[in-house]
Amino acid sequence: MKRYVLFVVALCFLAIYLFPLYWMYLTAFKPSSETFTYPPTFWPTHPQFNFVQTFIDKKMDVYLWNSMVIAVGTTIIAALIGTGCAYALARVRSLGMDIVLFLVLMMQVLPPSLMATPIFVLFNQVGLIATPRFAVVLAQSAKVLPLFIVLCRTSFMQIPKELEEAARVDGASRLGAFLRIAVPLARNGILVTSVLIFLQSFGEYVYSRSLISQEDLQTATVGLMNFMGPNTTDWNGIMTYAVIYVTPILIVFMLLQRKIVSGLTAGALK
Amino acid sequence: MSSIFRSAHDGRGFDIALALLALAYLLVFSAFPLVYNILMSFQEVDMFSLASLSRPFVGLANYMTLFANPDFWPIMGNTALFVVLCITFQLLFGFGLALFFQQDFFGASYLRGFFLAAWIIPALVAGAVWKWIFAGDAGVLNYLLSSVGLIDQKIFWLSNPAISLYSVIIANIWLGIPFNMILLSVGLAGIPKDMYEAAALDGAGPWKRFFFMTLPMMRSTLGAVISLGIIFTLQQFDLFASLTQGGPANASNVAQYWSWQLSFQTYDIASGSAVSVLMLGFVIVVAFIYVRSTRHEYSA
Repeated sequence: MKRYVLFVVALCFLAIYLFPLYWMYLTAFKPSSETFTYPPTFWPTHPQFNFVQTFIDKKMDVYLWNSMVIAVGTTIIAALIGTGCAYALARVRSLGMDIVLFLVLMMQVLPPSLMATPIFVLFNQVGLIATPRFAVVLAQSAKVLPLFIVLCRTSFMQIPKELEEAARVDGASRLGAFLRIAVPLARNGILVTSVLIFLQSFGEYVYSRSLISQEDLQTATVGLMNFMGPNTTDWNGIMTYAVIYVTPILIVFMLLQRKIVSGLTAGALK
Repeated sequence: MSSIFRSAHDGRGFDIALALLALAYLLVFSAFPLVYNILMSFQEVDMFSLASLSRPFVGLANYMTLFANPDFWPIMGNTALFVVLCITFQLLFGFGLALFFQQDFFGASYLRGFFLAAWIIPALVAGAVWKWIFAGDAGVLNYLLSSVGLIDQKIFWLSNPAISLYSVIIANIWLGIPFNMILLSVGLAGIPKDMYEAAALDGAGPWKRFFFMTLPMMRSTLGAVISLGIIFTLQQFDLFASLTQGGPANASNVAQYWSWQLSFQTYDIASGSAVSVLMLGFVIVVAFIYVRSTRHEYSA
């Protein structure tokens, strides 16, 4: 009996906590006349579907595409560079590797809004601002690479060393053993971490706002900020925009929820 | 030369090459900007000298201007208040929920995971949703508070300078709860169950067990969560951008947003980098203490 009570209480906590997300979806479905009624309604009496209209009016295809380009680019760079480092840090225990790990952990904590100033000036001097999305990918990769390394390192630590040693005895090179034994065995960890990095970069704001000046290269976060403006009243449209933007993120999260949670908890405290 | 190649191909050099590749990337795109930032904070940097490689050095002038700025100390005070309040409440709610979900019931770990839905969405979108919830006239928060009788007139959450900082704090606490809860759950799961059973047999009640067993056993986890909390709270930018933009009149401004505003909105890049250097120095000290302490535990 007590267990059912606890379950119901847990559901209540979750419902209270996720109320802002409910409010976002609810507002998106309300017609604009119903949005500003006071007292507000908690269920749409005449649900509306303005999604296609908002998507077209606010040029969301352009914004979402730019966000996608930046998220894919960042994930590729982080995975290519980070996987090997995570492997080396998991396999070798030495003073040198401890120093590398220490430096990687220190690079993880730098707030992007504070790094934006020097990165903007530097990128401006070497001409990277001319390719703004690439500039954002480079900066964002440096931001997420430490997290990628730390999370993947725990996956590599779970693979027994003996499997690689057996492959080495059979004549495989280090590279061969790494690519054909270690990486496939750590596949799940690498994939989940990549998804996490992808989702984070898909919502990137600071670097996009600081480094991209052309309207048609800007990301969905910047588009949402422009939409919100200083004296906005079109909450209906803004919430519709938000719903279109975050629903795919939430679906991916739901599908991988258990793996993301366990990956995060294994890596975060070690 | 060939021995280096053979080592990279077959031996220890392979691991070193893999590690150095990532380290090199981080040195170029994180460490170098960091050092360059310190250099810039001693130079005269504006839109005209931006592209030139040699800029005049001005010594500590940028820092002097900054300290003399009447906004400096209020904004630093806001930053401290923001960090302290966010961490305190994130920790309290996170710990409470972690303890609750530690109990054995159907779907406990599954439901717990759903809290992370708030953590996974872009903070800027969360800011947009909260801005709508906080809206003065048609906002749902004012409606809920007045319908339970807590307030008699509408609160202007974002435009009242006495309240705007607290509104951002509320939204940031909401964002930070799931991460705190998950990390604390890991710590709780590490405490052996039979210890509690033994203590219960000896007559220790739930409060005693919490204060004399759970809290001491959680000391290192709490230390880690608080340090990570400081680091992540100082990374919060998107909520300020979407909710108040530091306003009204800097009433809700914090250092990490101000630094960005100085550089990218008033183009006072020298001051922006000076604020940035001060804050980065602080973050690095916190991170240093945190990483050192977790390393010690790891080897012990």
